[in-house]
Amino acid sequence: MRIPVYLATAQWALLLALGVLVIVMYRHLGRHFNLAKPDIKLGPAVGSSAVSFEYARVADATVQRFTPGHGQAALIAFVGPTCPACEELVTALGEARDNGELDGVRALLLISEPPSYLQISEPFRTTRLEIGEILANATLEAYRASATPVLVAIDGTGVVRSAGPATTTGEVRAFVQACLVPVAGRPVLPVLSAEPGQEQAQESTTITEDEEVRLA
Amino acid sequence: MDVLPLAAKSLLAAMLLVAGSAKLADLASFAVAVRLFVPVGVSRAVVRWVAAGIAVTELALGAVSLSWPAAGWINPAVFTLACGFTAVSGAGYLFRRGQSCRCFGALSRRKFDAAAVVRSAVIAMAAAVAMSRVRPALVGIDGAEHLFLLLAGAVVAFAAFAAARSLAIGRKMGLEVR
Repeated sequence: MRIPVYLATAQWALLLALGVLVIVMYRHLGRHFNLAKPDIKLGPAVGSSAVSFEYARVADATVQRFTPGHGQAALIAFVGPTCPACEELVTALGEARDNGELDGVRALLLISEPPSYLQISEPFRTTRLEIGEILANATLEAYRASATPVLVAIDGTGVVRSAGPATTTGEVRAFVQACLVPVAGRPVLPVLSAEPGQEQAQESTTITEDEEVRLA
Repeated sequence: MDVLPLAAKSLLAAMLLVAGSAKLADLASFAVAVRLFVPVGVSRAVVRWVAAGIAVTELALGAVSLSWPAAGWINPAVFTLACGFTAVSGAGYLFRRGQSCRCFGALSRRKFDAAAVVRSAVIAMAAAVAMSRVRPALVGIDGAEHLFLLLAGAVVAFAAFAAARSLAIGRKMGLEVR
């Protein structure tokens, strides 16, 4: 049976359209689950001064001001309760807190959704870390948190020491070390975890860049 | 050489199906893009109806162009629409540069820029190619084949709608790139 020419071309066109849709969706899924590097730079530049901002503390609905520096190292996590990668980060931060690894570090989770959204996520609902609701888009812009999760390590002098996506315990540990051990003039070199099961940490953008610095 | 206009026609039809259904899936966002080109005083409801009208027109033209290829009026209609897109792209480049055009709803984050003008010009050229005369026998398909193409087009449109819908919801909840 001979297929009409138009029918054949139309079938190929439709197949092409479906193929493009599949590629588009896989790219978005990759970014969503943190499998692919975002096509934008996330987090403020390493070495820049972190900016202060106001947020509404979820626990008591009061407006607080975060002011970087003053001898207080800080880890700021821009997360969302509907983002699976953010749930992993919150879990990893919670484990670090329970293990005493966050001693001396102020850890703050920042969300842009209404606090009622926290109820839909187990890690967000049960975490004992401080959670704040972002009050101004300027905060997201200043910290270049146009996607989640973004973790920012700020040392005691208010300088950003590391910034970017993070999800695993090893990555969190590297960020903690970055904000606790300031080195004048250049980013702090995180020590990678040698524990089994932490292989993903070596694939993160931030750590790979730091490793390059160490090798250099 | 007859294959070229037929391929252009099919690709444009598939593109219109995807673009129309993706816009319908996130009509509120597309209405924001439409608002860029309407006077400030126009009500939100009117803008939304205009946005819906554009999306439905694209969807309908795509479906008819795909499944009734021999219809004489459809190719000029698609060409007119493509010229309209080019004009809007040009106006967007001149007056609204950098703003999101939502041309494919939440499927794309394309903005009004020089590349967008080139893309829409290429689409208009493809529509012009699709208007070339071809032998009637090449576009002669029977009733069952009309139906097959309509159903296949509906599947593509639904896939685009579902994809754009889920991406739009994800973005509004803050879990994707904002």
